[in-house]
Amino acid sequence: MADSVARTAPIARLGLDKLGVVVAALLAIGAASPFALFRANRIVAGDAKLFFEALPAPAAALFAMVVFTTAGVALSKTPARARLATAIVFVIAMAGLLAIAADHLTPPDGRFARVAPATGFWALAFAGSILFADSVVRLKLGPLARLLALALGAAAFALALWSGLWSELSILKEYANRADVFWREAGAHLVLAIGSLAAAMAIGLPLGVLIARKRGLRAPVLNTLNAIQTIPSIALFGILIGPLGWISGHVPGAAALGIHGIGAAPAFLALFLYSLLPMAANTVIGLDQAPRDVVDAADGMGMTSRQRLFSVEVPLALPVILTGVRIVLVQNIGMATIAALIGGGGFGVFVFAGLGQTAPDLILLGALPTVLLAFAAAIVLDATIELVTGARP
Amino acid sequence: MIAIEGLTKTYGSEIAVDNVSMVVEGGALTVIVGASGAGKSTLMRMVNRLVEPTSGRVLIDGEDAAGLPVHELRRRIGYVIQNHGLFPHRTVAQNIATVPTLLGWDRRRIAARVEELLQLFQLDPTTFAGRHPHELSGGQQQRVGVARALAAEPKLLLMDEPFGALDPLVRAKAQDDLKAIQRQLSTTIILVTHDMEEATRLGDRIAVMDGGKLIQYAPPAEILVHPATPFVAALIGVGDRPFRLLSLETVAQVVEPGEAEGKPIAADADLRDVLAELLWSRRAAAPVAGRDGRLIGRVTLARLIERAGTPT
Repeated sequence: MADSVARTAPIARLGLDKLGVVVAALLAIGAASPFALFRANRIVAGDAKLFFEALPAPAAALFAMVVFTTAGVALSKTPARARLATAIVFVIAMAGLLAIAADHLTPPDGRFARVAPATGFWALAFAGSILFADSVVRLKLGPLARLLALALGAAAFALALWSGLWSELSILKEYANRADVFWREAGAHLVLAIGSLAAAMAIGLPLGVLIARKRGLRAPVLNTLNAIQTIPSIALFGILIGPLGWISGHVPGAAALGIHGIGAAPAFLALFLYSLLPMAANTVIGLDQAPRDVVDAADGMGMTSRQRLFSVEVPLALPVILTGVRIVLVQNIGMATIAALIGGGGFGVFVFAGLGQTAPDLILLGALPTVLLAFAAAIVLDATIELVTGARP
Repeated sequence: MIAIEGLTKTYGSEIAVDNVSMVVEGGALTVIVGASGAGKSTLMRMVNRLVEPTSGRVLIDGEDAAGLPVHELRRRIGYVIQNHGLFPHRTVAQNIATVPTLLGWDRRRIAARVEELLQLFQLDPTTFAGRHPHELSGGQQQRVGVARALAAEPKLLLMDEPFGALDPLVRAKAQDDLKAIQRQLSTTIILVTHDMEEATRLGDRIAVMDGGKLIQYAPPAEILVHPATPFVAALIGVGDRPFRLLSLETVAQVVEPGEAEGKPIAADADLRDVLAELLWSRRAAAPVAGRDGRLIGRVTLARLIERAGTPT
């Protein structure tokens, strides 16, 4: 007994949860840092408020209690269900408290006043999401349960937005001023990210199959795609201006299709080119992984090479190919932000406009949806991969 | 009947199979045996053209195998490999249905055939049809592999080290089952192994290969008694020779009138097992019982000793 106690890590010896220590530390930092930022208008420097300044007294007391309890649960060795429940309560409480802070700090006639979450809030949100993600992992939720959880979370978030809970927050004031543009750019962002993924699948999958069959082509093709990946996106946009501009001017109908040296076309093309490597490489790796004797059996039983590909090799490679799709989709959702630099639209429009106007809230209006979208895409594809692999070892 | 005529396969300057000619009788189980690299798998894979011969030809019932589209040829020939090669993403039933599906059988006929084969291989359809290969034991996987190869009722079955991945107890049972099923279906089987014990146990005829050449092609008893070259003798193992010879015969073939003490021996036991039993129970003779349990005579140690040496 004494031996085993002596050998365990110091944290465990105290009966503490290792990850809980990190969460608690983040909670402490978050609570000690400014909770909200008050500004008289959207571009002046802000006035950071600690939680007891940002919140009315009863809410501040609630804040302290919630943070303290959550830290306690995170630190002690509590069951995963209790940790998950705590994380959910914590996130809901912080969402509500942020709304209260916005109401509390905004003066009655403060049409131009802005209240935004400050470093403390983000640290707390980070702590909450770590606790949440960790307890979900510990609960070993199945893929369908994870999809359901995502749907519930998204619905709750949408409901909170729709109910006007956070309407006093600066980011939503930015949104309210440009709701039309927001949804237009959201559409453009999705078209860029998902459209370029679809194009990359249409070209990358057959290319992967081809270089899996013709070993001699493998190195040149993969090296070329690899070289494309190393070109910085802005440089790639620059490279594409010339050829696309020429096509726009010389190929009949190209300009009518929206192909120009700048705009959505080069952004789409750049995202597509970046996506080719993960698609093709994962297809090759997946196909290579098919066990030799399985392929030999398929041949020996008289499958044609097409039958072998579609009924044996591709199904066996599917999890790896889907991993490629996941990489590409998450990467494209993030990278589509850059498209705004050359007039390609997307959430990047707000990010770059915000940078130009030194309006942090506007930057967030572009950045937050991008992050949430990438996060949701990762969860959906991970669950899909698990569902596809489910029946196998 | 399979006629192999002057089959040669070269890879660059390396000769994998060197001018092999042999005739495999219809309904016989022929074992190709040799060390690894002897060319036995390559020879077998030229029959269903997984390897295309450099020269020579294979006639299946008089028809040149090279004359058919390769997929049609292979769908007519059963194929079993060492690690079974079951499709991991398909159920047992779907695996077995592979070739019938490729041949476009209708659904009902396929289902009936799958059920029949599962019964034949002692795999309860309700339990096993819906399972995936990774949920089966090694022995069960092996049986599914053979069932899959037999699904479209091929006249010829090629087996490449089919029992190689099994542990000894399961292997002996699988070998017995194969022999029984072969007698029942009278399928022509060509089986490749490196194990001479397996070859003498299963083969109606044994083809010994070394360095790409066919060294000797004869029934097991002849191989044991008259090995063509020192290599064949070495492959048999001089020390095991008498016992292997004994294992080819059953008690029924040496039973003589008379009585003996002790526990009776079954008439279909092989002589090697009988010798072991007599030595172990310190008896010079044992009574022999027929299938119905009645005593039909006796077997003596002297007679076994006589059968264990070279015929003089």
